[in-house]
Amino acid sequence: MNAAATSGTFREARAAWPAIAFLFVFFALPVGALMLRSVTDPQWGLQNFSDLLATGTYARVLFNTFLVAAVVTLMSLLIGYPLAWLLVMLPARWQQVLLAILLMSMWTSLLARTYAWLVLLQKTGVINRILLSVGVIDAPLPLVNNLTGVVIGMTYIMLPFVVLPLRATLATLDPALMHAGAVCGASPWRLFRSVLLPLSLPGIGAAGLMVFVMSLGYYVTPALLGGTGNMMLAELIAQTVQSFLNWGLGAAAALVLLCATLALYALHMRYLDEDA
Amino acid sequence: MILTRNRLGLFRFVLYGHAVLVMAFLLLPIIFIALLSFGSSRWMMFPPPEWTLRWYEELATDPRWAEAMWLSLRLALIVTVLSVLLGGAAAFALVRGRFAGRRVLKAFFVAPMIVPVVIVAIALYAFSLKVGLNGTFAGFVAGHLIIAVPFSVICISNSLRGFDPALEQAAAICGAGRLETLRRVTIPSIAPGLLAAAVFSFLASWDEVVVSIFMASPQLQTLPVRMWTSLRSDLTPVIAAASTLLVLASLILMALLGLSATRAGRSKMQ
Repeated sequence: MNAAATSGTFREARAAWPAIAFLFVFFALPVGALMLRSVTDPQWGLQNFSDLLATGTYARVLFNTFLVAAVVTLMSLLIGYPLAWLLVMLPARWQQVLLAILLMSMWTSLLARTYAWLVLLQKTGVINRILLSVGVIDAPLPLVNNLTGVVIGMTYIMLPFVVLPLRATLATLDPALMHAGAVCGASPWRLFRSVLLPLSLPGIGAAGLMVFVMSLGYYVTPALLGGTGNMMLAELIAQTVQSFLNWGLGAAAALVLLCATLALYALHMRYLDEDA
Repeated sequence: MILTRNRLGLFRFVLYGHAVLVMAFLLLPIIFIALLSFGSSRWMMFPPPEWTLRWYEELATDPRWAEAMWLSLRLALIVTVLSVLLGGAAAFALVRGRFAGRRVLKAFFVAPMIVPVVIVAIALYAFSLKVGLNGTFAGFVAGHLIIAVPFSVICISNSLRGFDPALEQAAAICGAGRLETLRRVTIPSIAPGLLAAAVFSFLASWDEVVVSIFMASPQLQTLPVRMWTSLRSDLTPVIAAASTLLVLASLILMALLGLSATRAGRSKMQ
C-alpha cells in the first residue's frame, strides 16, 4: 500500500469517531457505571447479590424469567419450524407474500401488538366470548395478567425471529438428500425425522438461542400482559430502580441479566461460526 | 427446493393449514385493533355497535395526545437524520478503513442491540439524572439514537460492501473532488442502504417505549409513553386509534422500503 492510500484509510477511520464518542458517553459509560453500582451502592460489597439470591421473591422472579423464556422458545420453534419448512418449498411468489407478512409483523409497533393481545385476552375479550358461546368453557378463562398471557404475547412477537433464520438455514440444505430419501420410499415423517431434522439442528439451536436471549430481557410485553404476582427480570429491574429507588439491587439484577445475555449471545455466535 | 411439495402427499395440506393459521395469528390482532379504533363502544365491544371517528378526533384534539404525537414525530425525524449521519460515517470507517481493532469496533456498534433495552434505559436514566438530561428533548434524542445507530451502521455497511470503490477512483481521475465524488457517485450507489437505515432508524425511534418511559416527564411524553401510561389505567379506544397510527406508519415505511428494493433488484438485472 502506498503512502497516499494509507493516509486515505486513516482519514476514513476517523469517520467513526463521532459515533464512537456518542455511544461511549451515552451508552458504554452509563451501562458501566450502572454495573459498578451493584457492588458500591449503598456500600462496597456483595450484599446486593446475596439479597437477590436469598430473598424468595427475587429467586422466584429469576425462575419465572427462565421458565417463560424457555416455554416461549419451545413454542415459537414448534410453530415456526413447519412454517419455515413450507416457506422453502413454496414457489417464489408465495414465499414473498409470507415473508412480507412476517417482516411486517416484526416491524409493526410492539406496543400496538401487545395492546391488541391485552384486549383480545381479557375476561370480556373476544377469545373468551367465542369460547363461551361455543360452549367449550363455562366461565371466562384467566388468559391475561398471568404467565399464560405473557407466553401467548411473547410467542407472537418472537415468531418472525425464529422463522426467518430457520428458513435461511433450511434453504442452504442440499435438496438431493431429501429426494434420495423420498426415492427410497421414506414416509414424510421418516424423512423429517431422519434427514431434515438432524441437518437443521444447528439452525434450530441458533434460532432458539436468539429467541431465548431476547425473551430473557423483555420488558414491555411481560409488564403489560403479566400479573403483579409473576414478574420477570426486566420488570423487576425497572421497578426496583423506579419505584423503590434501590439502585444497588436493581444494578445487581441488571448485571445478572447482562451476564446471562452476553454468555448466551457468545454461544449463539459460536453456533453461527460453526455453521458457516 | 428441499422437497417437492407433491412428494409429501397429504402431509403438505397439514403444512398449508398450519401456515394459514400462523398468518392469521400474526395478522388478526393488528386488524382487530384497527377495526376497534373505529368502533363506538368505549368498552371495546366486538363487533362494534356503531362506527365512529370519535377516538381519532380525541387523539387529535386532546392536547395530551396531540402533543405526544407531535413530539414523537419531531423526535423520529431528528433521530433519523442523526442516525444516518453518525452511522453512515461509522460504516465508511468499518468497511473502508484498515485499522487494528475493527472487529472490536464492529461489536461495539451493535452492542446496543444485544444489551437488553431495559438496562440501556435505566443506565441512561441514572446518567440523565446526574447531568440534568431527564425530561428534556435532548435526552430523548440521545436515548433513541442509541437504539437507532446500530441499524444505520448495519444497513449502510452492507450497502457499502457491495459498492466497488474503483468507481470513486474513476470519478477522481475524471477530475471530481472528494465532495463531488461523494455526492454524485457514492451516495447514489448506496441509496438503498441509506433508505433502509433511515426507515429502520425512524421506526426504532417512533416505536421506542422503554428508554422513553424513563426519560419522560409529565410534560414531555412521546406517543408510546402516553399509550403506556393510559394503558395502565384503562383500555380506552383512543389507544387503539394511536396503535393504528403507529401500525400505519410502519406499514407505509416498510412498503416504501420494499418498493425501493424491488426497483433496485430490477435495475441490477437490466
